[in-house]
Amino acid sequence: MKKLLIILGYIAAILALVLAVTPLFKIAYIPSILALIFGIPALVTSKGQQTGKRAIQLVFLMTIIALALTTYKAVFTESEVGNTEQLEQKEDQLEEESIDELEGLDLDEIDNE
Amino acid sequence: MIKDCIFGIINVSIIVITTKRITMKFLISTLIILSSFFSLAQNKTIAAGEKLTYSASYNMNGILNELAEVTMQTSEVKTSKSTLLKLKCTAVTYSNWDSFFKIRDLYESYVSPKTLTPFLYNRDIYEGGYKKFMKYKFNHKTRTVASLKRKTRRDGTEWEEKKSVKIGGSTRDLVTTLYHIRNLDIHKASIGDSQSFTVLFDNKESVVSIKYLSKETINTAIGKKECYKLSISINNSNVLKGNNDNLLWLTADANKIPVYAKFKIAVGNGELKIKSATGLKH
Repeated sequence: MKKLLIILGYIAAILALVLAVTPLFKIAYIPSILALIFGIPALVTSKGQQTGKRAIQLVFLMTIIALALTTYKAVFTESEVGNTEQLEQKEDQLEEESIDELEGLDLDEIDNE
Repeated sequence: MIKDCIFGIINVSIIVITTKRITMKFLISTLIILSSFFSLAQNKTIAAGEKLTYSASYNMNGILNELAEVTMQTSEVKTSKSTLLKLKCTAVTYSNWDSFFKIRDLYESYVSPKTLTPFLYNRDIYEGGYKKFMKYKFNHKTRTVASLKRKTRRDGTEWEEKKSVKIGGSTRDLVTTLYHIRNLDIHKASIGDSQSFTVLFDNKESVVSIKYLSKETINTAIGKKECYKLSISINNSNVLKGNNDNLLWLTADANKIPVYAKFKIAVGNGELKIKSATGLKH
């Protein structure tokens, strides 16, 4: 039972850490909470025993790092648009091409039909 | 006697046929007048110089992740003979997403400023390495669209496909349809009313249905707004999932700005929230 809890805690903590460094960092809260849910009973059951204590401490350490990183990013990251220079160039180029295509169009004739 | 009877029957049948023909003609002409009325509905909502900015988010287990900025912009474009209205929609991912899944989408349509009839449509998309360009040139007299598709192969070389697509009298492109929805007289509609539009997308015509669900007051970045709540569905398509899960809120004023949208796609739920609105007509 304790082994299973430690393994699940490990998986959740690693997932939290990986997610915390990606743009989907807000989702890292879910595996972080899961890691704590698995870690706490593992810690309680291993009281007085030496085996597996290091592993549980590592789970907690990873979870705390993931939580700290996620919270920091959630507070300080502002959503900014990336480089749009290429898009703007394409827009200008397309507008020029479109005007050439529409050159023969007589709007009054079409609207009055 | 028999001759008179036969003549009588023939006369009656001629009268019936003539009456039928007149009725048919009347019906057909009414339909033509009505359809031309709808297709040439006057633009009372959209003006050049309008810019609407949105933030698109992906919803995962209730946690919203901001993905991209979407803008809807209008401007005036002049050719030697006429002045057209350019409707432009762009979607650009936020910088933290660029290294993972970069999106640079551009959709634009050149329409008549009076009636919002489309003449030229361009779609240039870049989505995580996938590139595609589509161009539709509408010919409303022959009811055809000259379509051009340009795609990039994996080795970087390009290929083109030119096609002529037959369209219906009221078929529009995606961008024009979005603006056309804003131009509808929703204030005259009652709750539960629905309307269908034919949209040309990927050289295929699809029917999009809009249903007026209710009036709601919602909080937005541009203030508390009374809105028309509409549901959108695409017939015979699996792009949008669910029933009444794809919703659009348009302000219940003369501008009918789309302030909020919720949509359900194959990979989850998304949201579109307004950030700013400038250059409005009213």
